[in-house]
Amino acid sequence: MTVSLSLSGITAHYGTTKVLEDLDLHVGEGELVSLLGSSGCGKTTTLRLVAGFLEPTTGSIKLGDRDLTRLPAHARNIGLVFQTYALFPHLTVRDNVAFGLKQRGIGGAERRKRADTMIDRVGLGDFADRYPANLSGGQRQRVALARALVIEPPLLMFDEPLSNLDAKLRVDMRVEIRRLQQANGTTAVYVTHDQEEAFSISDRVAIMNAGRIMQLDTPEVLYSRPANAFVADFVGFENMIPLRAVAEAGDAVRAEMPGGGVLTLPKEHFTVPSKEFILATRPEGLLVAPAGDGIPTTLGLRTYLGRAYQYQCDTPGGEIKANGPLAQPFESGTNAVLIPQPEQCCLLPA
Amino acid sequence: MTPRLRAWALSAPALFLVALFLGLPVLSTLATTFGDPKGPFAQYAAFFDSRFRMTVLWRTMEVAVITTTISVIVGFMTAWVVAKSPARIKSLLIIAAVFPLLTGVVVRSFAWLIILGKNGILNDTLLWLGLISEPLSMLYTQFSVTIAMVYLFVPLMILTLVGVLEAIPQDLTEAAASLGATPAAAFRQVVLPMAVPGLIVGSVLVFTGSFTSYATPQLLGGERQMMMGTFLYQRAMVTFDWVGASTIAAVMVVVTLTTVLVMSKLARRLNPVAG
Amino acid sequence: MKTHPLLIAFAVLTFAFLIGPLIIIIGTSLSNTSYLTFPPEGLSLKWYENIFEISAFRRTMVTSFMLAVGGTALSMLIGIPAAYAMARYRYELPAFLGNIYVLPILIPEIVLGFSLMKSVAVGMDFPIMAALLVGHALLVLPYCVRVVGASLNAFDFSIEEAAVSLGCPRWKAFFTVVLPNVRAGIIAGFILAFITSLNDVSISIFLTGPGVSTLPIQLLAHMEQFFDPTIASVSVLLMFVTVGVMAIVERTLGLTFLTK
Repeated sequence: MTVSLSLSGITAHYGTTKVLEDLDLHVGEGELVSLLGSSGCGKTTTLRLVAGFLEPTTGSIKLGDRDLTRLPAHARNIGLVFQTYALFPHLTVRDNVAFGLKQRGIGGAERRKRADTMIDRVGLGDFADRYPANLSGGQRQRVALARALVIEPPLLMFDEPLSNLDAKLRVDMRVEIRRLQQANGTTAVYVTHDQEEAFSISDRVAIMNAGRIMQLDTPEVLYSRPANAFVADFVGFENMIPLRAVAEAGDAVRAEMPGGGVLTLPKEHFTVPSKEFILATRPEGLLVAPAGDGIPTTLGLRTYLGRAYQYQCDTPGGEIKANGPLAQPFESGTNAVLIPQPEQCCLLPA
Repeated sequence: MTPRLRAWALSAPALFLVALFLGLPVLSTLATTFGDPKGPFAQYAAFFDSRFRMTVLWRTMEVAVITTTISVIVGFMTAWVVAKSPARIKSLLIIAAVFPLLTGVVVRSFAWLIILGKNGILNDTLLWLGLISEPLSMLYTQFSVTIAMVYLFVPLMILTLVGVLEAIPQDLTEAAASLGATPAAAFRQVVLPMAVPGLIVGSVLVFTGSFTSYATPQLLGGERQMMMGTFLYQRAMVTFDWVGASTIAAVMVVVTLTTVLVMSKLARRLNPVAG
Repeated sequence: MKTHPLLIAFAVLTFAFLIGPLIIIIGTSLSNTSYLTFPPEGLSLKWYENIFEISAFRRTMVTSFMLAVGGTALSMLIGIPAAYAMARYRYELPAFLGNIYVLPILIPEIVLGFSLMKSVAVGMDFPIMAALLVGHALLVLPYCVRVVGASLNAFDFSIEEAAVSLGCPRWKAFFTVVLPNVRAGIIAGFILAFITSLNDVSISIFLTGPGVSTLPIQLLAHMEQFFDPTIASVSVLLMFVTVGVMAIVERTLGLTFLTK
């Protein structure tokens, strides 16, 4: 059974503070959508609304054709994996996993069989009789996953499920989560503040800020084509160079920086969105060259990154970062130009 | 000075105080009971043979068990409400529970003398309501002792259980709900089992406290409702039967220590977090 | 999850049960009748004046106060080093030491009082005041060790080591670095110990003697002979002490400390 999740026009408050504003979100059948943002952006609130631990002030939540908006949490049938795992400390692994089945009135033998099958699937067959206190972090995470999956929910939700694990385990577990989610074809919502984690496992990612979704798209698009300055900054476009279009020169636009310096942007590669705009790039989106049509600069401090050198560059538009090739190191104090690489730069409205 | 030596040197005065003024005197009290010329256990045989002494022991047990039971029920329900209250109301309620707890036992028992007396408020009220035609004698009964004991120990139970309930993470009840547990099922299957160790700890405090109390049975039970504490005092300071008093003391020590040890072992067994 | 209205009603009744009797005491203390009655039939403060006219109350108040301060101070003096040793040298000392310091709570107080009377007051021939002081110091030792110990366990001893590494002698580091940082625990422990000592009956009843008594014991004795509102007015005075104690606990550790 695969269904889609729809949130429309959701506004939510904590007391008098508005935490979500007119939020729309559609998660397609079998799709995994991550809600990504820093703390306080509303991602966890969104999840708690869908789970039924909070009530929206306005708007509706639908799972398939079921309206969840006013349904109590225990009647929603959503599998939830908590940041703290929230395993019942007084129950064994098996009883933890069987808890949801018990609530559904499934009898002893059948319950045990289904729980054990699921425990095997997450690789904890030998630990079924242990208590959570005697498991490692990764094992607890697997129990939490098994417990959410065994009730075969039409929707799975994860609240920062990996933030309490060490780096290596995090990578292993997210692969595992993705595998299980795809194998069951379950629709899923995944809340995290970790960009790499969100991008690696999601079909689509919603980047949130201050109770709104800033951009919702595939990781590929978000990574290379952020739609606004917030998302650009979030995904690592460290340089935001303000520009003003001054003239058209055939198949190029000439733009100047506030502090002087003119840049020619070929129309073939760049679409200027407005008169005042921002050139957003990562450091590798600017090529450091001795001369050419680019931003004039004096190279400052050089640091070694392994794959490239990075320079702190003094430009008329302020200090920016650019990467230069390993084969051609420049000395500090050299005058050079920074040439924007079209496929790694974005022009955003100011 | 090595760290170990320094550690022992710092601990020495406190250990000395406990050893000299608690260890020796209490052991000497216990030792006295075995010194009977008729044999080491003659005092105990006499104690358990005496109908009067057994009546006192059973009465004390009964009062302690009833007090504990009522305190657990009242304390748990109240603590639940306190724990679920919004922060401001919660701190007010905690103040309301702490205040009687820190007020002396004599003062708190005295209040019930005023309430339950022949011309007390309760009799006045019942007469005024026409429920009785002449004042009831409520003082110096097991009832008066028990109600004052409940009054004494309910605040302790509330405070203990508020701590216990607040220590149960909200995540767990939410997890239960997400797995389909109704609020009642979540309470029965998650909250209650997790609160059991705390309930046991609270019960032990109340049981041993009421079993060994002196001032309350003295004021509200008097001679008629002699309990272990008042009995011990009477033997020691009125009849000057120190051996007999020591035997009562020994029985009290055995009952309370057994309760504490057995129940804390049980609490630890039932406490999943300790593994 | 919403709380059921019936449950809330029950809790309201419980708190009425807890506070009501204390209000009744306040009411009776203000009565101008010579017997205890509530609601008071006429208002008067004469029973408060009466406290100070009865010399036994005046004397025992002073005794109780001095005993509570002295016993707690003595207990702190030996309890703080013990708590420090347990926290600082956790691996040098056996774990059961912590249980030894709480024995005064574990052993029924009345048994302790009786035993102290037999062995210390009579056996060692201690003067009444000395026996009372020792008994009360012992009674409050668990509070001193546990409450101060809780603060010390939360203390980061690398701060003390930093002081020593900067040239501060160990004993000086204890007084200038450790103690100021566990001040809240010491104040709260002191105040809880103080109130416990002030309210004590079961130990004092065996150790008081001719000429020397404590306020609670004097109250008990007074109640057996007279049943007048003086007892209520003394009780109200004691409640004021409780209010003061709660204010100090709230300031230092916060009252939620008491639910842990």
